Amino acid sequence: MNTIEEFIALVSDELSLPLTVADAGRELDDIPGWDSLHLLWLVTVLEARTGRNISVIDLLDAPDLRSIYRLATTG
Amino acid sequence: MDVSAQDAAARLRELAESGRLIAEYPRAGGLVDRLAGPELDRAGRLLARLDPGEITRAHPALPAVTVGVTGHGTLAPLIPALAAQFARHGLVPRPVPTDFGNYVFDLLDPGSELRRAHPDLILCVLDAGVVFDEVPVPWRPGDVRRAADERIGVIERLAARFDETGAGTLVLNTMPLPRRYIAQLVDHRSRAELGVVWRDVNTRLLRLAETCASVVVLDLDPIAAEGVRVTDDRLSVHAKMHLTGEMLTAYATEVGHLARQITGRAKKCLVLDLDGTLWGGVLGDDGVEGIEVGDGRRGEAFLGFQRVVKQLGDQGVLLAVVSKNEAALVDRALREHPRMALGEQDFVQVIANWQPKHDNIARLAENLGLAADSFVFADDSAFERELVRREHPGVAVVDLDGDPALHARSLLRDGWFDVREVTADDRARTRRYRDEAARMSFLDGFASTQDYLRELDIHVRIEPVTEAGAARVSQLTLRTNQFNLTGRRLQTRDVLELVRDVTALPLAVHAGDRFGDHGLVGAVLARRDGDLLRIDNFLLSCRVFSRSIEESCLNWLLRHARDTGAAAVLGTYRATAKNKRVADFYPRNGFVPAGPPGGDTVTFRHGLTRIAPPPAHIRLQTPEGEPA
Repeated sequence: MNTIEEFIALVSDELSLPLTVADAGRELDDIPGWDSLHLLWLVTVLEARTGRNISVIDLLDAPDLRSIYRLATTG
Repeated sequence: MDVSAQDAAARLRELAESGRLIAEYPRAGGLVDRLAGPELDRAGRLLARLDPGEITRAHPALPAVTVGVTGHGTLAPLIPALAAQFARHGLVPRPVPTDFGNYVFDLLDPGSELRRAHPDLILCVLDAGVVFDEVPVPWRPGDVRRAADERIGVIERLAARFDETGAGTLVLNTMPLPRRYIAQLVDHRSRAELGVVWRDVNTRLLRLAETCASVVVLDLDPIAAEGVRVTDDRLSVHAKMHLTGEMLTAYATEVGHLARQITGRAKKCLVLDLDGTLWGGVLGDDGVEGIEVGDGRRGEAFLGFQRVVKQLGDQGVLLAVVSKNEAALVDRALREHPRMALGEQDFVQVIANWQPKHDNIARLAENLGLAADSFVFADDSAFERELVRREHPGVAVVDLDGDPALHARSLLRDGWFDVREVTADDRARTRRYRDEAARMSFLDGFASTQDYLRELDIHVRIEPVTEAGAARVSQLTLRTNQFNLTGRRLQTRDVLELVRDVTALPLAVHAGDRFGDHGLVGAVLARRDGDLLRIDNFLLSCRVFSRSIEESCLNWLLRHARDTGAAAVLGTYRATAKNKRVADFYPRNGFVPAGPPGGDTVTFRHGLTRIAPPPAHIRLQTPEGEPA
């Protein structure tokens, strides 16, 4: 998961949402089919994938997928 | 993840991408069965999006189970976990989620959204926060005890109230104690005291299963002890999700088996391979003396597995062998090997030959009068397992791989044989099936079935169901599929209601013959309705088909109705996936259709003017004690 493209593909696959890189900067609530519950799943999925802990506080407050990508890659 | 799991995940994705998850829901369930961990979670998320109504329209034969979800904390992640488990078992979940943290109201108020949905299962998921939310700071073990007394008291009252007024089954759970509580106490004496308090809390929860017939308590402590993480402090604090996704998945697995059981789909028979499964080595090459069981590292492990299998057999699980081996050699091994825990007498049938195993499984099903989808098949050969999976998609297949010390864990990973309670009838089941095998060879000696039936000396006893017998009648409704005229399942509490209802006439049918006692074999659930006698359901165990026991009972009931002033008897047949063979039960016995058929339900009427003579080969003992 080294690029935003790979990240979006992973999230799209895990959550079964038809996402593209164009969605990276969208407000999460504006993404069709988005549910706040998805964030709870992303904690598990991203920690398993990257092998390191993610700040749950920051993730729960993340405005968009790009911010989540940053959290996942930079910790 | 092994190759087949990867393959299954890929195929499931294909189904989802091509929009065929609903059309191929049963196949999707078969694929989910191969998944674990993150792939299983992902499958659950996919399946949770499907509309249950559409699944049912596409597959009307699949049982739908309404599941209410309430409890302490954020439980939404449980819904996908349930979706995956239910799909795996060929069930359609209809989840009824509730608002956060309202479980007392949800359960207590008959007008709550939860109660109005009339769930078959209500999951009230509890965690340690139920008590610790009420504990002041700073605290001592005594404060926890006081808070626990209050909260557990509320849950006990909820359970008792539900037991009196609710329908369906309430599922509670024990609450594993996270270390972060015990570690807040610095002295060992207080830690021990808190340990005692907490075990009392969980004991009180477990006791509810004894006092409330409609309550099931899942014990999560053994799951936690296996290393499934109970809580993630970050998700617990920030998102009020007090149990981890892993723990909720384990919980959903248990609930899946419970749902299987309430819809009459619990497995009945464990079919085992021999070489590499029950003992080490190859019987044909190594001989009876050379197989590994009892002694040596591997031998001890196989013996341990045999003991677990025997333990299951003692509780009503039928055990059978299907093995590629010489029959005579197998016979000798099972009779003569000095170190085996299992012997020939533990099995209802041993099939050893060189035929394909799926053919032997079909033969076994026929011999036992059971559907193959009530079988669990355990084998150490991946080749045999795949073949059985392909030929019998309804058979649950247990992968026994590698170290035989892991066989028991693999077999017990899923609660295939879970029931609410084991009855005396269950414990005697293997003997009954073996008696049946003796009957079959007795039958070979007769020119006609009539001669055989006469010589069999069948005696049948009909009597009102008692409170003590309610659990067994409930079991019968849960296990009986083929001769079940409406397919309706009753929990113990439902049967107790019938026992106490003065207009109801729930009858238990017991039978025996020269080879032994069959115990409870059937039930007739009738009731008075003005000058009518209505038969709401009629059930007969497949163990006693083709003996006219059902005719004998129906015949008595007709005469009883006539003698007690009834004008007619009405009987209902509702088609299910498995009860086609009894669709003509009422017309065959002098009933005529009463009005036009309505959907899959037909009502029949008997005017009681001409009642056929009872079957001559059956001695019938009735509630009045009248000789018949």
